[in-house]
Amino acid sequence: MASHTKSVILAQHRANDDLNTPLLPQVARADSDLEADGMRAPLDERIIAAASAALEDGQTHYVDVPGIGPLRDAVAEYLNGAVGAHYRAGNVVITAGLQEARFLSIQMIGEQYDSIALPAVVHPGVRKALGVRSRNPKTMPADPAQGYLAPLDAIAQAAADGCRLFYLESPSRLSGAAYAADEVAAISQIVADKDAAVIWDQGLAPWVEGAYASLAALDSDCARTAAIGEAYSGMGLASWFVGYIAAPEAWVPAMQSQKQIMAICTSTASQYAALEADQLYTEARARQLSRLGGLRADLLSAAGQAGLSVVGGETVNVIALRLSEDNANKLRRAGIDFAAGRLFGAPDVIRLNVNRSTAAALSALS
Amino acid sequence: MSKKKKTGTSLLYQLIGEARGYDDVIIMGRGDPDFDTPPHIVAAAKEAMIHHHNDYTPPQGLLPLRQAIAERVKRVNNIDVDPDTEVVVTNGGQEALFLMVLAVTSPDDEMIVPEPNYNTYADSLAFAGGVKIEVQTYAETDFRADPQDVRAAITDKTRSLLLVSPNNPAASVIAPADMREMLDIAIEQDLMILADDIYDLFVYDDFQHVSPASLPGGKERTLTLNALSKAYSMTGWRLGWIVGPADLMARVTELKAAVSGGASVISQHAGIAALTGPQDAVDMMAEAYRRRRRMVLDALDEMGMQYGMPQGGQFVFADIGFTGLDSAEVAQRMLTEQHVLAYPGSAFSKDRKDYLRMTFLQPEDQLLEGLERMKVAMDNIMAEKK
Repeated sequence: MASHTKSVILAQHRANDDLNTPLLPQVARADSDLEADGMRAPLDERIIAAASAALEDGQTHYVDVPGIGPLRDAVAEYLNGAVGAHYRAGNVVITAGLQEARFLSIQMIGEQYDSIALPAVVHPGVRKALGVRSRNPKTMPADPAQGYLAPLDAIAQAAADGCRLFYLESPSRLSGAAYAADEVAAISQIVADKDAAVIWDQGLAPWVEGAYASLAALDSDCARTAAIGEAYSGMGLASWFVGYIAAPEAWVPAMQSQKQIMAICTSTASQYAALEADQLYTEARARQLSRLGGLRADLLSAAGQAGLSVVGGETVNVIALRLSEDNANKLRRAGIDFAAGRLFGAPDVIRLNVNRSTAAALSALS
Repeated sequence: MSKKKKTGTSLLYQLIGEARGYDDVIIMGRGDPDFDTPPHIVAAAKEAMIHHHNDYTPPQGLLPLRQAIAERVKRVNNIDVDPDTEVVVTNGGQEALFLMVLAVTSPDDEMIVPEPNYNTYADSLAFAGGVKIEVQTYAETDFRADPQDVRAAITDKTRSLLLVSPNNPAASVIAPADMREMLDIAIEQDLMILADDIYDLFVYDDFQHVSPASLPGGKERTLTLNALSKAYSMTGWRLGWIVGPADLMARVTELKAAVSGGASVISQHAGIAALTGPQDAVDMMAEAYRRRRRMVLDALDEMGMQYGMPQGGQFVFADIGFTGLDSAEVAQRMLTEQHVLAYPGSAFSKDRKDYLRMTFLQPEDQLLEGLERMKVAMDNIMAEKK
C-alpha cells in the first residue's frame, strides 16, 4: 500500500522551487563544459606532498570543528593581506566548500534576524540554501547596467524597510561585476547607520583585475560582516571542497555548533592541502590572473567583433553575455555547457568560464 | 557571559575544550577510534591526488563509490539499492544524520526517538522544527526499546521513527523480532523510518543486527545511514552515505546539494579503496574492541557499577547514580581531578543524569590507566559523601 506520509513529503518537496534549484558543478566535467563555478587547475606537487604527509602522520581523525588552528590562522592572515580585513583565527570557520559556507552563514546568522535581503540576481546556491529552511528572504532589484549587482538605493531602501541582514555578492557570481570602493563605503555606512549585518560573498575576489574593495576591510571591529568564499581557488582544490566563513567572533559559536551538528569537521586531507596552498598562493594566483586576463581580453575582442553583448564585469575567470534563446540553442547544439542566467534570476544572460575552450563557444555564436 | 547551564552538544564542547589543556588526558569520550586509517586507504588517497584531483563530483557522489556502497549494503545489511538513484554520499555519518532528519521532517512533525540517543539527532530535529517524542529505555532491560512503548507514543502528528542499532550511547541492539515489530508498527501507522546502522559491524556475543530496510515492506519507507568513520577508522575523512527508495533519495540529493554541494573527491577515492580493498584491518579492529569491551566491563564490575550490557557499539553506558551527583558534575570532576574524559549522560538526554558514556577506543594500556583513574575519582567522590 502506498504511503500517504511519503506522498505528503514528496509533494512538499516538489513544491519547493528554491530547494530544487539546480546547483552548478564545482569544476568542469569536460573541456567543453563552461558551466562550472570553479576552475580546473594543476595541483602543485608540494600540496600533494603536504596532504600525503599529514595522512601518513596519522591526521586521519576528527579535528577541531571550526578547522585546524594553523589553517584558521592562515586564512585570517590571507584575508587581511589580500582584502585588508581585520580577522584573527577566532573569526574563521573552515567549511566543506563554498556551499556549506553559504548554508551555515545564511541559516545561522539568519537566525538572529527577522529577514534577509538579497539581490534578485544571485548565485542559485543561495536560494537553494534558503530552500532548506526559509529565513524570510526579501528581494532587492538587481541592475543589469551594474553587472546585476543590487544598486545602493535598493540596499538603502531595504534597510529603511526594516531589513537588518543582507546577502551581497561582490564580485557577482554571474557577471564578475564588483562594487567600487566608494560604493562599498556607502554600503558600510548604510549598514552601520541601521545596525545591520552583511554576509559578503567575496569568493571571486582573487580574480578581479585591479583593485578590489571588500566590505570586510571597512569593518574594523569585525562586528557586522561575515565574509565567505572558496579557500585558495585556482589551486586545483575545487573538488576538495574547502571554504571559509570569516565573521564576528560573537557569531562563530552558533555556526560552529551547527557545523558540529551537520558535519563535525572538514576533511583533514583537504585542510592540510589548503594549508600548503596558502604558502604558494600569492605567486600561483598572480600567474593565473595574468594568464586568464590575457585570455579574457582576447575573448572580449572576439565577442565585440561578433556583435555579442557582454555584461560588464571585473573578474578574469568569467564572461557573461546577454543572449537570445536562439543563440543559447546554438551553444547547446555545439555541445557547449554554460551557466544559465535564469538560475541566477537573469533569464536573458549566460555565464561562460574563461579557458581555452571559451573561444569555441564564441565561434559557435558568431 | 551567559550563566545558563550547558547541556547537550555545548556541554561536550566545554569538556573537550578543557581536556585539550591536559597533556596526560585519557579520552574515553569522543567516538574516534585510536587506530589510524589502514595504509592501503591512505595510498589510494595519494593516488587520487595525482590522477583525480580535478574530477567533477556530483552532489550524490562518484558513481564507483555509490556502486561500492550498494554492494556493501547488500552484503552486510541485505538491502538492495540501485547505485544510480538510491545512494547519496555524505560528509560523514553526521551529515547523513542531518540530511535524513531534514528529508522527513517539516515543522511540528513528531519523531519517535528511543532514549537515550545521540544528542545531535535532537539538534537536527530542532533545526528542522520537528518535535522529539521520547520513548524511554532502561538499564535493567539492557536499554531495550519496547515496540509497544513506541506504539503508545504515536499521535496523529507522528511522521517518523528513529531506530539506532546498535544504539549510541546505550549500546543496545534491536533484536530481529523487535525490529520486525517496529517495522509492522511503522507500516500500520504510516511512519517513515530513519535507521542509523553506523555501528553495524560492532555487535557482540550472540546479538544480531538487522536493518529495517532489509525486511519485507521496509525499504520503501526507510532511509538508512552509515559511514566509514568507525569501521575503517576514517573519522577525519568525512565520508558516509544514505541509502533509501529512489523517490525519497531524490529529495536527499537536493538537500545534500543545498547543505554542502559534494564530498571531497580525495575522500571518495579513499572510500572506494576502503570498501573494495582488503578487510583484514576491520576484523583486527573489531577483535580489539571485543577485548577492550571485556576489560571495561571487568573494571566496572570491580567498582560495583551497574550498566546495561553493551550488545554492540564502541562504548558502555554506566550508572553513576550511587554517587548522588549529576553526571555532568562527575564527568567534570573526573576530568579536572584525574584527567579522564567520559561523556555525561545528560549530554545525551535530560533524563540520563545518572549515567556516563565511556568509549573503548584507546590502546589497552591507556584504557587500563583511564579505568584506574576513574576508580580513584569515584573513591574520592564516595569518601566525600561519607
